Amino acid sequence: MIIREILALIAFLVGTFFGIFGMVGLFRFRDPYSRLHAGSLCGTTAVFSYLVALLLLAPSLASGARVFIILVFFLISAPTGSSIVGKFIWESEDATRQRSAMKREDKSL
Amino acid sequence: MNSRRVWAILRFVLTTLFLYFVWVLFTSDLGLFSLLFGLAASVMTAALTYHIFLPEHEANLRFFTPHFWALIRFLFLMVFSLYQSSFQVVKAVISGNTNPRIVHFRTRLRSDLARTVLANAITFTPGTMTLDLNDDHLTVHWLLCSTTHTKAAGEAIKTKLEHALGRTWL
Repeated sequence: MIIREILALIAFLVGTFFGIFGMVGLFRFRDPYSRLHAGSLCGTTAVFSYLVALLLLAPSLASGARVFIILVFFLISAPTGSSIVGKFIWESEDATRQRSAMKREDKSL
Repeated sequence: MNSRRVWAILRFVLTTLFLYFVWVLFTSDLGLFSLLFGLAASVMTAALTYHIFLPEHEANLRFFTPHFWALIRFLFLMVFSLYQSSFQVVKAVISGNTNPRIVHFRTRLRSDLARTVLANAITFTPGTMTLDLNDDHLTVHWLLCSTTHTKAAGEAIKTKLEHALGRTWL
């Protein structure tokens, strides 16, 4: 029982670590794609870790199975969402300007 | 009965089975009323939506029925690469060394489902994010870019995933 709780705590800490650095990256990067990248990828990992921790702490098999379903659906929906946002940046006027700026500077930071 | 009709019935049955499976999983209630109600609801929903859920041009069962062990293996690969890629992004956030580029390449996977899953999985591989999927043409934003050559970029990003996916779906 206690081992399960320690493992869940580790998973919560890992999730918080990635969440915080994803947020830092969101403000630190300069072009929209990199910002989206940091935000969505680290956010996905953070929520994934939290759900793994919840899976470890699940009181019964039925609720554990539901958390697992949520986890799988989250793995499908999160990258789809970020790729839709990315596609709209790619097609918008603003991004064209950003892209040429990216080419000029060669570095995003 | 022509083959088109057989295929439509097969798709209808598969959609019903899938919906019923999810219903039982979510309710986790094996009472008679719940089972019958779920079955009726699945049949009705499947009758309305089977041509959207499984489009007619997906003319092979292997296009959407996964190989079980390959799927499990692919899921573990995804989770591993999710953590690995997040770690690389965190490193890039701290050091500030990024080289963002947009690369294009093609995939050789044939079914819509496998291509969609590949596009989603590319988001999880280190430093890449799918922007667009158009038939077999992928537009990918690569945060830690090392090459913009189409073939080399494709090799670097998708080879491992495509192998694992090619075993799961066609």
